[in-house]
Amino acid sequence: TLRLIGTTTAVLRKNAGASGSEKYTEAFIKKQIEEFNLGKRHLANMMGEDPETFTQEDIDRAIAYLFPSGLFDKQARPLMKHPTEVFPEQRKIQWGEDGRPFHFLFYTGKQSYYSLMHETYEKLLNVQKHQDQLVAQDLPLQKEKRNLAGSRWLTKIELEEMLLEKVSDDDYSRFIKLLQKLVTMPCADIEEKYIQKFSKEVPVQLQKVVIEPLQYDERGVAFSTGEGKRKTANATAVVYDNGTGKITVNGIDILHYFPVLQDREQLLFPFQFLGRIGKHDMVCTVSGGGRSAQAGAIRLASAKALRSFVTEKEVEFMRQAGLLTADPRVKERKKPGQEGPRRKFTWKKR
Amino acid sequence: RLMPVRWSRYNPSYLEPEVKTESYQKPLEELTEEEKEQMELKAVRPIKAAPPTLSSSVFSDPMISKFINMMMKSGNKVLARSLMSQTLEAIKRKQVEKYHKAPENEKETIECNPYVIFHQALKNCQPIIGLSNITRGGKTYQVPVPLTDNRKRFLAMKWLITECRENKHRRTMMPEKLSQELLLAFNNEGPVIKKKHILHKMAEANRAYAHFRWW
Repeated sequence: TLRLIGTTTAVLRKNAGASGSEKYTEAFIKKQIEEFNLGKRHLANMMGEDPETFTQEDIDRAIAYLFPSGLFDKQARPLMKHPTEVFPEQRKIQWGEDGRPFHFLFYTGKQSYYSLMHETYEKLLNVQKHQDQLVAQDLPLQKEKRNLAGSRWLTKIELEEMLLEKVSDDDYSRFIKLLQKLVTMPCADIEEKYIQKFSKEVPVQLQKVVIEPLQYDERGVAFSTGEGKRKTANATAVVYDNGTGKITVNGIDILHYFPVLQDREQLLFPFQFLGRIGKHDMVCTVSGGGRSAQAGAIRLASAKALRSFVTEKEVEFMRQAGLLTADPRVKERKKPGQEGPRRKFTWKKR
Repeated sequence: RLMPVRWSRYNPSYLEPEVKTESYQKPLEELTEEEKEQMELKAVRPIKAAPPTLSSSVFSDPMISKFINMMMKSGNKVLARSLMSQTLEAIKRKQVEKYHKAPENEKETIECNPYVIFHQALKNCQPIIGLSNITRGGKTYQVPVPLTDNRKRFLAMKWLITECRENKHRRTMMPEKLSQELLLAFNNEGPVIKKKHILHKMAEANRAYAHFRWW
C-alpha cells in the first residue's frame, strides 16, 4: 500500500460517487432536499431570523449553538448541509427499459474515460489539420506560449469526480500525456476552452511573507531578529549592521560552541551567499536538538533576519537556494511489531 | 504512475535548491529558452530546504560530500570528514614532494590540486557498462546493461572504499591507503582500475546475451 506523507488531504479523499451501483434513488434525494428546505425555515424561525435570507453560514452557526459538541473530529459533529453536498453525485442507470445501453462505448466498461480520450484525440487531429492548412498557405504558425508554470492539471480524484467512474493510475497518466501533447502543439490556442476544463490555477503567490522593517537600538545600529527551527532545536538570531563578522551563540563564541567545521559552514552560509561576511554581527540563542540541528536552526533564523537588510530580488534568490524553507524532516516514529521505524525484528524460521 | 517520491517528507511539487551564486548573477539575456522556463517554474513552486552538507562556499563539493557519507560508519560524520581532509592533505603532500624532486620540464605536468586529482580518479574508475542478473527459463545470465550516471559514480566510490578497507596492512591508516589508491587511479593504474577492466571484459564476453535486456 502506498502511504503519501507530504501530500494534501485532497489526494487522500476517497471518491464514493464513482463506486458504481446506485445507493439512493432520485426520489430519495428530492425528498431530502424538500426536508432540508423546510428544516432551514424552521431553524430560521427558531433563531428569530428572516427565513428568506438564511445562508449556509447562519445554519452552521445556529447548529453549533443549539447542539454544542466537544468532539475533536470536525466531521463527527452535528451537520446540516444541502443534500447535494452530503450525498455525492452518482451515475443514473445507463440503459433503457429494453436493456439496451444508451452510450455506444458502454461495453468497454469505462465509457466516460474512453469517450473523453476520443474527444481529446479528435481535438488533436483538428489542431493538426489547422496546422497543415496554415503551412499550405505559408502563413507563420502562432507561438503564444501558455503559462505552464501557473497552472496544474486535474488530479486523479478530480478527474474521477468529473467522469463519475473509477480511473486507474495508468489511464490517468495516459490522459495527462495526451493533454500535454495537445498543449505543446503550436496551434493549440483553438482548443483553449477545451483544455481549460482540465487545468486549474495554482495560486502563484503562496509565498507572500511580510518582511519586517529594520529596528534601531540605542546606539543607532540597525538590527533585525529571526526565528528558526530544525528537528527539535529552536533558535532566535539578532543580526546587527556595521559589524565585524563576530557570531556569538548562547554567550559563547562559535569557535568554542561548534567545534565541527560543517556546523560553522552552515552558520556562515547565508552571509556567504549574499556576500556580506564581514559586515554583520550576530547574537543568537538556541536550545534543544543536537549539534547539527542547532546549526540548521540558527541558519534558518539568520536567513530570516537577513531578509530585512536585503532587496526583494535577493530574498527570492535566498528562497531558491533553499535558505528560507524550514526543513520538515523529523525523527520517524517507531511502529509496533518492528524494532525501530524501519528495522524489523530478526526473522526466525521457527 | 502516481508514486510518491519514496516516502519523502516533502510534497512532490517541491523543487531542488540551487546553491551556487554564479547562476543567480547571470544577466537575463544570456539564458536559453529552457533556463527561462526553469526560472519561471522556480518562481511559482516551493523549494526544499538546503541539506546541511550543501553550502555556497568554495570548499563544499557535492561529490566529496557523497564520498564522505559513503565512508561514514554508524553516523560518525566527524570521523569521516576528518579522514577525508587527512586524505586530501596526504595527496597534496605527496604531489608537492614529487613536484620539488622533478626536473624542470616535467614540473608543469604534475597536478598538485587534490580536488582535481580526486575528481579525475573517480572519473577514471567509473565503469561504462555494467552487468545485471536476468533469469530466463530457470538459468540466471549476466547481461551487459548500460548504467546511469548516478550508478557509475556510486560503483566507483564503493569500489574505492571497499578496496581501501580490505586490502591493506593492519597498521596502515585509512587516509594513507586512500591517498595511495587515488593517485594510482589518477594515473589509470591500481586495483580499482583493474576491477573496472575486468567488468568491461565480462560484459564483452557476455555480449551474446545482450538481447535479453528489455529496458
